[in-house]
Amino acid sequence: MFINWKLREINLKIVYYGPALSGKTTNLQYIHAKTNPNIRGELVSLKTRGDRTLYFDFLQLELGQIAGLKPRFNLYTVPGQSYYVGSRRLVLQGADGIVFVADSQRERFQANVEAVKDMAENLRSLGLNPESMPLVLQCNKQDLPNAVQPSVLQRRLGMTKVTCFPSVAIKGTGVFDTLKAIINLVVAQAQKKL
Amino acid sequence: METGISLPEDLSAQIDDILLELRRKAEAECVLLADISGQLVSAQGRLEDIDPVTVAALAAGDVAAMSELVRQIGEPNPHGSFLHEGENKSIYLFSVAGSFLLIVIFGADTPIGLMRLFVRRAAERLYPLTAEFEEVMGQPQDVPLGDFSATLADELDRVFGGL
Repeated sequence: MFINWKLREINLKIVYYGPALSGKTTNLQYIHAKTNPNIRGELVSLKTRGDRTLYFDFLQLELGQIAGLKPRFNLYTVPGQSYYVGSRRLVLQGADGIVFVADSQRERFQANVEAVKDMAENLRSLGLNPESMPLVLQCNKQDLPNAVQPSVLQRRLGMTKVTCFPSVAIKGTGVFDTLKAIINLVVAQAQKKL
Repeated sequence: METGISLPEDLSAQIDDILLELRRKAEAECVLLADISGQLVSAQGRLEDIDPVTVAALAAGDVAAMSELVRQIGEPNPHGSFLHEGENKSIYLFSVAGSFLLIVIFGADTPIGLMRLFVRRAAERLYPLTAEFEEVMGQPQDVPLGDFSATLADELDRVFGGL
C-alpha cells in the first residue's frame, strides 16, 4: 500500500496469480468490460500472438474520495505458463494482496498445486511472508462438468482458512465478489498493522 | 515493499521540485518518478496525452525485465538506464538507487545528450530523498485512516453491486 498524502491517494497493488489458462486475464477483462469507464483505465495486455499473457495485464480502478482519500487499485495478472517464472516474480514485487485463480477442473489439480508452491517460493525470494500476505482463492470454471467442489480444492491446496469464491469468470460469476474481498482484506490488514 | 507505507507531504514536495526542474532543464514533456513495483510517486509536466499510472506500471515492468536480462549476461550492476527513441516522442528510463525509476518523456527536439546529463544530476539529488523515503517506509507509521475501511467496503458494494 502506498499513500501519497500530498495527492491524498491510496494505492493498492493486487496480483491475480494461478496456473496457465485458469482465467486470470478473463477476470480483468470482465472487470474492464463491466465497470464505468470513468473509474477505470485502459486494460493493458502484454501478450503473445496466440493471446497468452507474456508478461502481465494491467488495469487501474479509481474510486472517488472516501474519508478524504482517493483509493486507486492497480490490478495485475501474471503469466501462468511455467517457463515464465522470472516474470511472475517481477510482477509480485510490491504486491499488497493476491487473488489465486485456481482451475477447478479435476485434471488441472496438479497445475494448481504447483502454482501455489511457485507463488510461495516467489514471495519468499522477495522477502515476503506467504503466510501473512492477504490472499483470496477463486475456484474458477465451476460451470464445467469435471469441476471439483471449491471446498475440496480449498482443502487440497491447503487454503482452508482462505476466503474462497466459486466462479465462472467468463460469465462474471464471482469476479466482483473476489475483487471486493481482496480489497477489503488488504485494507483491513494494513489498518491492523498501522 | 511491505504494506503500510506513506509519502509525507514535505518529502513529496521536494521530489516534485526536483522533477519540475529536470523537466524544465531537459526540455522534456513530462517527468515521472515510480517505485520498482510500478507505483507512481510523482508526475510533473504535460500529462494530458498519457496515463501516468499505466506508464509507471509498464516502465517498472520494462526496467525489471531489462535488469534481469542484464544480470543474466553477467553484468555486475544491472541497474542502469534505457532509452527508446521514437519518431515523435521518446522515453528515457533511469534507475535511481535500484529502488525507484525516473521516467522522462520528450519530443524530437530535445537534445538527448543534455537530457541524459540532467537526468543523472536529478537522480543524484533524488538519492538521499529516496533513501529517506525507504526509511520512512520501513518504520511503523501512525496513518490516520479513520473509518476508511468501513466506508470503502460500502463504496465497493455501491460501485460494483449488481455487476
